[in-house]
Amino acid sequence: METFNKPRQRRSRIYSSEARVAYICLIPAFLGLIFLTYLPLLGVLGISMTNWTGLTKPEFIGLHNYIKIFTTDPYIKESIIATIYFAILSVVGSMIYSLFIAILLNRKIPARGFFRAVFYVPFVLPAAAIYVGWSWLYEANFGFFNYLLSEIGLNKVLFIADSRYVVPSLSLISVWLAGNLIVIFLAGLQNVPVVYHEAAEMDGANGWKRFRHITLPSISPIIFYNLLMSLIANLQVVTPALSLTNGGPGNSSRFMTYLMYDQAFVNYKLGYACATTFIIFAILAGFTAVLFKTSNRWIFSEGGDDK
Amino acid sequence: MSEVAFGRLKSKKRSNRTTNIITLVVVVFFACLVLFPIWWIFRTSLMTNAEIYKFPPSLIPENWLFSNYEKTLKVFKFWKYLCNTMVIIVPSCLAGTFTATLCGYAFARLRFRGKQLIWALCIGSMLLPTMVTLIPLYIGWTRGLGIHDSYLPLILPYFCGGGAFNIFLIRQFIMSIPRELDQAATIDGAGYLRILFSIIIPAIKPAMIVVALFIFIGLWNDLLQQMIYINTSDKYTIALGLTNFRGQLKSDWSLTMAATCLSFAPGVIFYLVGQKYFVEGITMTGIKS
Repeated sequence: METFNKPRQRRSRIYSSEARVAYICLIPAFLGLIFLTYLPLLGVLGISMTNWTGLTKPEFIGLHNYIKIFTTDPYIKESIIATIYFAILSVVGSMIYSLFIAILLNRKIPARGFFRAVFYVPFVLPAAAIYVGWSWLYEANFGFFNYLLSEIGLNKVLFIADSRYVVPSLSLISVWLAGNLIVIFLAGLQNVPVVYHEAAEMDGANGWKRFRHITLPSISPIIFYNLLMSLIANLQVVTPALSLTNGGPGNSSRFMTYLMYDQAFVNYKLGYACATTFIIFAILAGFTAVLFKTSNRWIFSEGGDDK
Repeated sequence: MSEVAFGRLKSKKRSNRTTNIITLVVVVFFACLVLFPIWWIFRTSLMTNAEIYKFPPSLIPENWLFSNYEKTLKVFKFWKYLCNTMVIIVPSCLAGTFTATLCGYAFARLRFRGKQLIWALCIGSMLLPTMVTLIPLYIGWTRGLGIHDSYLPLILPYFCGGGAFNIFLIRQFIMSIPRELDQAATIDGAGYLRILFSIIIPAIKPAMIVVALFIFIGLWNDLLQQMIYINTSDKYTIALGLTNFRGQLKSDWSLTMAATCLSFAPGVIFYLVGQKYFVEGITMTGIKS
């Protein structure tokens, strides 16, 4: 900034040409923010107060859709429970798994790049294909997991055709897919200053203590980031239901986004589906808000280092 | 260094070596676990149906029946689906990366009125789940613009900045480049766009490749929107084609798995090609987010 001590006139001319370039650069973002984000968001709210089916003219019916969802909808309760159940299992599972693998990969082992690539691979496979592939591993009679169970003398389990097991089975797949979290954790771990560890070691801190008091606080912003991203992603889960279970068996995997899809694009109750959308949005926002609220209690920030 | 301390250092070195070996063993074990499902799918794709149902199942196929793939390709129009998918992905990746770079540059380097507000709106939209805007956007594309059974609703959004998250990544990355570089260029008389193209873009290539990869993976994984916007089987993408194929061939597992493996291939290839940049890029960007 100190280079700009020129006459005011000239400075504002520079400034305006700079602003012009900026606005030109931002045209795509403007369009996106208006037409793809904020107008549709208002649209959800507006449509949710109508009885629009896509065929007839929409009529304004106030909060009727919301009342109906909370009083008579046969699916919403099970759907919310299934989604939260799935999200918690997946988020907890994938956070533990990815942090564990990242810590291992952060040690001096040969071919680290290769292993990192291996753990990342599931993430680059198309989701639809992953669920089709895993449906074979979970197959009721000849699937690999049932072979394992029979080897250790247990009865066969209908993994994705049994309402008790379908959500945990699908969560296992999403833990398996958590390679992106590993890469991000690993990047965070590599930024933990080695001097801290050395100093603590001099003071006689053992491995666990160093992990608990140095590593964890240092990567707490990364933990928060990964937690947030995987929570938002897993609460929006829909692909397994679309490609594999169709919400079943029963309603045990009728996840919220699938419920919305079903209402809007199978039954054409657009107004009603928008009300569902808004409720899902509120739940997601609630989870996000709680996470942000509690974050300053456990995120360690390095004071003055932040820009 | 005292004798005792030296001894401790030596024993520490030895214990480090053993823990490193244990670590390696554990890592190899988990890597095998992660790869196992893929191998199981692959080996199934090379077997006869009789061999699949054999008990106990074998880990390695007896005869590697690559002819299964020929059979699969006759019913599963993989090349067509791949072309269709690429028709969506290529323009989306190019446009998304380019517009995200433009926007990221404006936010990172340029001063203009309303920057704070626009940036806040941008960050805000990052937290907005994509499923929320799905129905209004669908109505907008099909009713408002009369676009049916087309790839445009899947592609055009990427011409609008490629998503707030990608803009954010590029911005963070540009901010880590020393300003002295562009100041020197300014003194040499380069305009803002000139600086972007001749200084910033070459410097942020890894970040741009990460963004392209994210867009690629996003589209690759997105079954929901493809299901909504694409109706005719001629226009099916890999994800749609495979989901549909599985419905038709419920019990022919070897052909289904062959189709699954075919669908895996492009992602793996794309990743292996971009891997170097990708890891480099995410290592730099992941920290700052």
